Amino acid sequence: MMPRHHSSGFSNGYPRADTFEISPHRFQPRATLPPHRKRRQTFIRLGIVVVLLVLVIIWFGQPKSVASLISLGLLSGYEDLKLETVRYYDLTTVQGSARGWEREERILLCVPLRDAEQHLPMFFSHLKNFTYPHNLIDLAFLVSDSKDRTLESLVEYLEAIQADPDPKQPYGEISIIEKDFGQKVNQDVESRHGFAAQASRRKLMAQARNWLLSAALRPYHSWVYWRDVDVETAPFTILEDLMRHNKDVIVPNVWRPLPDWLGGEQPYDLNSWQESETALALADTLDEDAVIVEGYAEYATWRPHLAYLRDPYGDPDMEMEIDGVGGVSILAKAGVFRAGVHFPAFSFEKHAETEGFGKMAKRMRFSVVGLPHYTIWHLYEPSVDDIKHMEEMERERIAREKEEEERKIKEAQIKEEFGDANTQWEQDKQQMQDLKDRGSEKEAGLNQGAAAKAAGAGAIEGQKN
Amino acid sequence: MARPMGSVRLKKANSSTLILGAVLCIFIIIFLVSPSSPATTGRLSTIVSAQHHLSPPTSPYQSPRSGAVQGPPPVTRYNLNKVTVTSDPVRNQEHILILTPMARFYQQYWDNLLHLSYPHELITLGFILPKTKEGNQATSLLQQQIQKTQHGPEKDRFKSIIILRQDFDPAVASQDESERHKLGNQKARREVMAKARNSLLFTTLGPSTSWVLWLDADIVETEPTLIQDLAAFDKPIIVANCFQKYYNPETKKMDERPYDFNSWQDSENALKMAEQMGPDDILLEGYAELATYRTLLAYMSTPGGKQDLVVPLDGVGGTALLVKADVHRDGAMFPAFSFYHLIESEGFAKMAKRLGWQPYGLPNYKVYHYNE
Repeated sequence: MMPRHHSSGFSNGYPRADTFEISPHRFQPRATLPPHRKRRQTFIRLGIVVVLLVLVIIWFGQPKSVASLISLGLLSGYEDLKLETVRYYDLTTVQGSARGWEREERILLCVPLRDAEQHLPMFFSHLKNFTYPHNLIDLAFLVSDSKDRTLESLVEYLEAIQADPDPKQPYGEISIIEKDFGQKVNQDVESRHGFAAQASRRKLMAQARNWLLSAALRPYHSWVYWRDVDVETAPFTILEDLMRHNKDVIVPNVWRPLPDWLGGEQPYDLNSWQESETALALADTLDEDAVIVEGYAEYATWRPHLAYLRDPYGDPDMEMEIDGVGGVSILAKAGVFRAGVHFPAFSFEKHAETEGFGKMAKRMRFSVVGLPHYTIWHLYEPSVDDIKHMEEMERERIAREKEEEERKIKEAQIKEEFGDANTQWEQDKQQMQDLKDRGSEKEAGLNQGAAAKAAGAGAIEGQKN
Repeated sequence: MARPMGSVRLKKANSSTLILGAVLCIFIIIFLVSPSSPATTGRLSTIVSAQHHLSPPTSPYQSPRSGAVQGPPPVTRYNLNKVTVTSDPVRNQEHILILTPMARFYQQYWDNLLHLSYPHELITLGFILPKTKEGNQATSLLQQQIQKTQHGPEKDRFKSIIILRQDFDPAVASQDESERHKLGNQKARREVMAKARNSLLFTTLGPSTSWVLWLDADIVETEPTLIQDLAAFDKPIIVANCFQKYYNPETKKMDERPYDFNSWQDSENALKMAEQMGPDDILLEGYAELATYRTLLAYMSTPGGKQDLVVPLDGVGGTALLVKADVHRDGAMFPAFSFYHLIESEGFAKMAKRLGWQPYGLPNYKVYHYNE
């Protein structure tokens, strides 16, 4: 075998020394790179140019066009086609039925919030537990005039729930509406429930509810559920439970737990009631802008309240026709709101907000129903009187404890002081016992001796006497 | 020994060819990137489109590509403190909702709508139609026109369009003018009308609307600047004077006559009449049986009178009515029951007044009703 790289020439035998000066097979060093390397370099250069261009375009602030460029301009047309500007809804398909979850009926859950940060953890624990399919529930919150971190923590909670890995947890559309009404009324328990502040407070609340609803209600909603953030205990199935009755407007009974010294429990929501003759007569005497509020001695209406009719062992499905409704937990068909029923922020038939809502729904011949024996529990927030009372009780308790403590200390001291005496006593007792044991054999003699002693003692006594 | 041709070609390409190619590329890129018209970018930047179909219908949304799995909707914040309602809505980019309850479709109505000079990318249209034979007909005609417009020139396209089909029956089977206006039919008709308006309003208002324009389906002629003109008065509720053009056989010329009698100032007489009525009875305007002696906006118009004359009103008609969204958000709606013996748009004016919003009318600013 011939060596491939022969020192004297090429493998094929050339060059034969000096035969021709211009041989086609003469070795010439390549002036350029081999083709494949050259190709790669070209691509790299082109790539750099393209990247630079893209950067320049981004620099000039037209990211959308870049997107279209990257997709070769095909996507832009596509996107344009895919931009849905026309929506068609048939309202006959969103009437609401008794078994909405089977027919995929959507619920709008409305929650008005103001300085409610402290209640959010409890509220979201309820939210997690709803048994109604979460994807069919749209959440709408109105955050108004809040000075705490209500908004921030609300967003955190909501984003957490939407990112939940459990596909059953995330909810439908979530809207947070921010709107400040310039609240003049304080929200603490006392001023909130004081009689004088009621009318204007209720009107402001009504306004907030209307803003929330009008911004969040969509044509695809079959139901609207109003829920206060400070409900402490409620059945997880509350949506289905209320829906099963298939009423236009329905509310459960709302009570609140109390400390034992206040009786353990108490009716909370007094806004659900049946109209009475007395109240109607009273309404006639009031001026146009007056608002009758329940639960205050100023207006004795003698109305039957849903709250007072509760029997803890009663049938939870029992219904009762009512005229005014409380706002803690209202389930209503969306059709009621579509027809125009809202929370009057003015005096409507001498009522405002949720009570006015009930009245207006009745006026438009919708069914308004309360469940006296189906109870949910509102959070107990002690009133100023309660707090005073509790402070007093606390003082008493502290005094009592102090007394106890003092007593204990005294005892301990006594023990310390007379503790030795005690052991002494025991020792003495022991000695006596020993003596007794030892002396049992010479009992007779001792007896005699003792008798003599006793006689002697008696003599002494006699002498004394 | 055979060589692949590509390498040969590349080997031949020198730097000048490459530079030429690069220059060409730049030209192509510039061509692709530069917007076809300046209007496109303006439009694109103003439209805030949602990413999910569960979003306010007043904005368009990008539907996911077929097959793509859509995650749960995002948490969306809407700051209503920042939704302005000013007398210069165009400059402040205020979104307007034009709402129309429709029983019949008139081509002139649509043409007039297209001629409105208010930027169309700020306009959302909302329609509600009954589920009857007539309603179906009107819906298909409407959809045809919408299809044409929304795929037509970019400047004519509206931001978003919502079509609703109502869930209750119309009160009167016939939409003929004579039948519709009979006194006996009026209450039931107005009740249904009120419900239709409320259904439309409260499902479409959404979180970004600044103004609501109620424009009846039979308004066939308005100024192209209708929205700007009405908004310029900066009133919570303002109504134009609705007239009808007709052929006057006496003068043998086209003439015009007042049409909508629902805009008025209250009279002692009417208040007295209302007092004596039952709780469910209503007062209606324009019927000899009910002589209310109210001052009607329709008759306040004077030929050649000032266009910017404004009068306060107690009742308003819904034919061409511009309302600040705040009024509706506060709860002012169209009562479908006797509210202070008023119903529908007249009741709306009363409810707005109870909420502290004063309605106004423009006697000399006219819009024209269809004539059958």
